[in-house]
Amino acid sequence: MKKWRLLLALLACLLTAGCWNRVELNDIAVISATGIDWKEGNWVLSYQVVIPQAISSQSAASSSAAVNVFSTKGQSFRSAVSKASQETSRRLYFSHTQIVIIGQEAARKGIGSLLDTYLRNHDSRETVSVYLSKGSARKMLEQLIPLEKIPGAAIQRMITNEEMNSSAFRQMTIHQVLMDLLGTTHATGIPGLVVSGTNESVDRAGQLTRTSTPSKVKLYDLGLIKGDKLVGWLNNEESQGAMWLADHVKKTTVPFACDENRSGQKNSSIRITHAKTKLRPELLNGNWIMHVEAGADGTLMEYNCEGDLSKPKQVAKIERLIEGEITAIVENGWKALRKNGADVIGFGSVIRQKYPKQWSKASDNWTELFAGTEVKVKVNVRLNSTGMSGSGFKQEQEKDG
Amino acid sequence: MNKQTAGALTPLSPSLQANVKAIQSRFGGSTDLVIRMFRSDAAPEREIAILYVDGIVDTGTINESVMEPLMSMRLPPHALVKGSKLLEALRSCVVSIGSVQDIHALEQALQYMTDGLCIILADGCPAALTADVNGGDQRNVSIPQTQTVIRGPQHAFVENLRTNISLVRRIIRSSDLHVQVHKLGQQTHTNVAVLYVNGIVDEGIVKEVYRRLAAIDLDGVLESGYIEEFIQDETFTLFPTLLNTERPDTVAAALLEGRVAVMVDGSPIALMAPTTFFSFFQSPEDYYQRFDIASFVRIIRYAAYVVSIVLPAVYIAVTTFHQEMLPTTLLISLAAQREGIPFPGLAEALLMELTFEVLREAGLRMPRAIGPAISIVGALVLGQSAVQAGIVSAGMVIVVSFTAISNFVMPEFNMAATSRIIRFLFTIMAGVFGFFGIFISVLFMLIHLVSLRSFGVPYMSPIAPGPAKQGLWRDAFIRLPWWAIVLRPMDLNLRNPKRQANGKRPPAQRHSSKP
Repeated sequence: MKKWRLLLALLACLLTAGCWNRVELNDIAVISATGIDWKEGNWVLSYQVVIPQAISSQSAASSSAAVNVFSTKGQSFRSAVSKASQETSRRLYFSHTQIVIIGQEAARKGIGSLLDTYLRNHDSRETVSVYLSKGSARKMLEQLIPLEKIPGAAIQRMITNEEMNSSAFRQMTIHQVLMDLLGTTHATGIPGLVVSGTNESVDRAGQLTRTSTPSKVKLYDLGLIKGDKLVGWLNNEESQGAMWLADHVKKTTVPFACDENRSGQKNSSIRITHAKTKLRPELLNGNWIMHVEAGADGTLMEYNCEGDLSKPKQVAKIERLIEGEITAIVENGWKALRKNGADVIGFGSVIRQKYPKQWSKASDNWTELFAGTEVKVKVNVRLNSTGMSGSGFKQEQEKDG
Repeated sequence: MNKQTAGALTPLSPSLQANVKAIQSRFGGSTDLVIRMFRSDAAPEREIAILYVDGIVDTGTINESVMEPLMSMRLPPHALVKGSKLLEALRSCVVSIGSVQDIHALEQALQYMTDGLCIILADGCPAALTADVNGGDQRNVSIPQTQTVIRGPQHAFVENLRTNISLVRRIIRSSDLHVQVHKLGQQTHTNVAVLYVNGIVDEGIVKEVYRRLAAIDLDGVLESGYIEEFIQDETFTLFPTLLNTERPDTVAAALLEGRVAVMVDGSPIALMAPTTFFSFFQSPEDYYQRFDIASFVRIIRYAAYVVSIVLPAVYIAVTTFHQEMLPTTLLISLAAQREGIPFPGLAEALLMELTFEVLREAGLRMPRAIGPAISIVGALVLGQSAVQAGIVSAGMVIVVSFTAISNFVMPEFNMAATSRIIRFLFTIMAGVFGFFGIFISVLFMLIHLVSLRSFGVPYMSPIAPGPAKQGLWRDAFIRLPWWAIVLRPMDLNLRNPKRQANGKRPPAQRHSSKP
């Protein structure tokens, strides 16, 4: 009997403990994307809040936008976040944030305090992917994107798609950014976003009922971060070169011209299905030489040049053409990087691994040394397949006639 | 055990009239007491009486094998002298029934009559003959109602103990199958049979079963459930420590595994002990189907049991404490469903669970004719309309329904019933503490489980304590092919722990050899 009385008392304790830190699903505002701007000495944080009813198929009121965007201001990030409770009915919930967009101004001011917030708080996940915005971050958040209901998720899927299929940009998570900025070279590249097309912004659900939208969010340029500040941009082609250098090319398409000096129209292309870049540093008379050895396997996608592709000799010739093309891409990227002096491709860490002693001397003035590094590119392409046809349409036609 | 007859016995009187009077008065003039008095041609001076209780005897047998021979008997002359000789002569020469006995006390006569035997009294004899004419209307052996299988024997126990024992005997055709019948219940005098296979069973456990049965002093035993609560090891537990079944093949299998079965007259449900937690997950069909399918289904069963206990709790914990654990799209669709729901998740879950329990109970108890009505009301009104009206969220309905269906996967109903109660505890703990609460609950449940015993056998064997012998795992979570299950499955001191010799794996038959 005594045991039972004790048990009853314990049970009562259980219920008086209340429901601890219980939060119902309809008490939270799920944030799919966060934007960070710097305006007049304040951080401006913008939130893209998902409106669940507008998304679920049950109450498919497609006339309303699936997200709502609003901003708060503050001297620090968390003070700005805490001010959000003055204008929203629900607690902001950051665990499901997919992307963070940093405005150009904010990035020039420095993203160190943002990264600190991510390291310190458990609800801000480090798997969030980071973007820079050419304009204000808030404007990016306001854009609706066709096909996807939640724009934040759409941008996140856009970079994954890009990474897998053309590799001009790479998804940078907060974690990856932290690894780079706390690593050897204190530099990283973050993909940029831009609203292209007309100036009209796609921020009404009604605009998605048309077959084309007046403007569109696009991945555009690679922002170079050094220390914690934005120092410059690489355009898409240069970014592609940087990806080759940093061994981040997964799959891509390379167009090439028929003649060896690459002057003609690039009317043929190869699909690179597998690529690997090796960096080998060398110290020669106090100057660093970086041997870049890129290997790529691919399939011919379109071919408008002369020659019989059933002959191995011709295939080898095409391989040389493609190698020249890739070398040009890499060298173009390298030129832009050298100009900006930001080692986002990790030359520093390769050198540190191979020449730790020399690196400790070089690291102090690495920016200058980096610009002075000589890069020797060697590309090796293997054409695995010429596709389902041999010599090509035009030659077939001529043969018959 | 035979308390009535073991008490003060009243000897039968030599006078037939006095005996009949006495029996009549003991029955209080019940109208189903049949008394037939007559004089036979062979012994016209001696009156003979046949007494039986109507309805529990086979009247045809009485007429053919008792009345008829008695009426037309030819007796040797020495039998006609007075005294008990007459009854002896009747037994050896006249009554053509297998089981005939002499009795000398009134109480014995009453006992046999209520058991469905008929009593033959003769004037001048202070004794009686009993003839086994048991019969009357009984339900026929039919297909199992609660423990159905697709492949395997399709008969189930009935309410008659004799039939039930015979069903087991027909499977285990060995004199080693020992059957001991006891009477339990001061008023009901119910026959309770204890079955075991001599040479396999641990005799200590048989003795323990007898000891626990002997301690019962109840006025009536109507079902094996009465006995279960007396002989189980632990009363205050949600987990059953005795297996029950309505299938003769299950009983036979249990006996061959070294268990003891207890069967009660009047109940089609047999009890089996000792048992372990894992035997509640073993359907008889596991052993009839191919081993790979049986193993797969058994794993499904374990998973379904876990689901039926923790699914609502996990749903509550995830949606009210750990939203970050959900994929974003799932979170958003769940959040959309929860818009406008007035109750917190915990209240919603308890509401739906209780509704389901009410529905289930109603489905069991209501008259069969209105069966379809309840399913319409249950499925349509409560499920669909409650969601449309915004009282409960669709996700919760799915969770509760799946939990309920998982519960029906269990082959043993009493183990399935366990999870229904535990589920509520888990749900409340999850609603108060989130996953922390669930893990605390799991911990306490495991501590409780390993503390249980069934007739001395650890309940969680062979997991805890670990298997005493190699090879006990082969029939716990999965079932290996029959030739691999060499040992009987329990951690008992079995007299004969091996069910077959080692190395009976059939050789691979590569090609059909031509004759």
